[in-house]
Amino acid sequence: MVEHRLEDWLEEGYAGSFRTACLILGNRADAEEAVQDAFLRAWRFRDALTSVPSVKPWLYRVVVNSCYSKLRQEIPHRDHRAEDAELAERMASASASDPASSAERSEVAGVVLAALQRLPVSLRVPVVLRYYADLSERDIALAIGRRPGTVKSRLHEARRRLADDPDILLLGANGALDDPVEA
Amino acid sequence: MPTLDDEFLVTLLHDVGESFTIPPSGPSAVLRRVHRDDDESAGRRRGAGGAGHVGEGVEGADSGEPAPPSARTARRTVRSTVRSHRILTAAAVVLVLLVAAGSAAVLGSGAPTANRFGHSAGPATATPRSGFGVAHTPATTKVAGSGSTGSAAAVPAPATSAAPSISSAGTASKGATTENSPQLGADAVGQPARIEQTGSLDLSVARGAVSATVGKLDALAGDNNGFVATSQTHSGASGGAPSGTVTLEVPVASFSAALGEAESLGKVSQLTTNATDVTAQYVDLQSQITALEASRQQYLTIMTKASSIGDVLAVQAQLDSLQSQIQQLQGQLAVLGSETDYSKLAIGVSETAAPPHHRAAAAAPSGLAKAWHDSVHGFVAGTEGLIRIAGPALFALLCLGAALLGGQLFWRRLQRRNL
Repeated sequence: MVEHRLEDWLEEGYAGSFRTACLILGNRADAEEAVQDAFLRAWRFRDALTSVPSVKPWLYRVVVNSCYSKLRQEIPHRDHRAEDAELAERMASASASDPASSAERSEVAGVVLAALQRLPVSLRVPVVLRYYADLSERDIALAIGRRPGTVKSRLHEARRRLADDPDILLLGANGALDDPVEA
Repeated sequence: MPTLDDEFLVTLLHDVGESFTIPPSGPSAVLRRVHRDDDESAGRRRGAGGAGHVGEGVEGADSGEPAPPSARTARRTVRSTVRSHRILTAAAVVLVLLVAAGSAAVLGSGAPTANRFGHSAGPATATPRSGFGVAHTPATTKVAGSGSTGSAAAVPAPATSAAPSISSAGTASKGATTENSPQLGADAVGQPARIEQTGSLDLSVARGAVSATVGKLDALAGDNNGFVATSQTHSGASGGAPSGTVTLEVPVASFSAALGEAESLGKVSQLTTNATDVTAQYVDLQSQITALEASRQQYLTIMTKASSIGDVLAVQAQLDSLQSQIQQLQGQLAVLGSETDYSKLAIGVSETAAPPHHRAAAAAPSGLAKAWHDSVHGFVAGTEGLIRIAGPALFALLCLGAALLGGQLFWRRLQRRNL
């Protein structure tokens, strides 16, 4: 039996899990709590790892579930203005740390993050897992408990919605995007 | 349809993701929490293995705080489950309410169903289950039988045991002198049951046999130690069909026999019997009379000691009032006794012939009219059937939907937990 070490898990997966949760939840504090819950839960059920093919999708599945729980419990009661303020502050700090090169990038990132948050959770999660966590469609299907075909169609729908997003279109019109839209 | 390029999205999301700085205390916080959780679990295991302190909570090794008691943990778990499965909880609540409403409806309609004498039900099912209540317990039995077979089942079974049942009450006679008179339980009022029984019977007889049947019914009353209360016969000279109506009053004990004999005189088109337990009312009247008589006796004693005319007149007024009340109650008691001594059986006799509307329908020469009539009748029947099944179908659909929803949520939860 493989001996698991929590320290190894954290070293390998904490950063990715945290940022994934940030992209899903759009909130740093919630993401930190969700990732803590996820690692605690994953550690409790580490025996189940013997029956799964690989650790990464399993861990992401736990993280995604934790994010779902967080969304169900916290988001309806949260003041969204606080999120916007946090996002603006984060962007400002990013610009301040590297003002010359990252100002435009931060603006794009802020707009994209906001557009991401406007997607429904069912579309947002596959997008984040696919394009940030680099999970395959099959692993995403495992992680969210859906069929690969469903994942594919959701990814397509998410890309379409993002391409239709007025802020993304505006970025494209301003030249921030280098012809990102494909027919 | 335009979509965003995959590579572009990868770059973009990585840029956005990388802009979130990793909290330096994040991994250590996870480690602390996991270690604390491990310690608490170990403590709980030790506590569970202790001397009967299962679920009482133990102290965490690191925090030094007592673990929450099992009841609080269970409450928290339930609250969390309810919060995270609002739809499932709502579905469960709706389901429970529906089941409760259905059960209440079934229970509510169960009593009269049990008391109803069915068309084809045998005597065993026709026997009502309701016991004698001290209060008024309407024990109504109705039959709309179309044949003699159905009506035979409606005849209350003769009382052969002391078990309190309305059917036995139906043959009860006045007082405790009759052997088959049902007795109340030891904790009851100590009185034989007083059952007021009435019946209504419609007989169809052969053409020209109405008068003869009415005569037989008169004789039947005499044979059963009863009498004819009213009797009417229409000869049919004025254009209508000959018919007759006879109201018999027979002793309660002879009611079943009289009913059976009357049924044998023709074809039964309708039979209704009604038995009402008036024991409580009867006993109440008796008690009131006893109390008033005791008061009257006391006033009489006072009267003998009255010294002045004013006292005598005052006592006399009270005595008059009491006497009036006693006589009034005794009258009511006598009426009630008479009603429970004798059962009333109203019998309508008519000649066997198609009902007027049937005759009109038969006389209609056009097959088109009949087809139209059948069509309308079929439409109404179909609509009624749809409405009748709509309720159960809706209930079944709701149950099915709730079960599917619950199953889906459970399956998803199971899948998430497994991985």
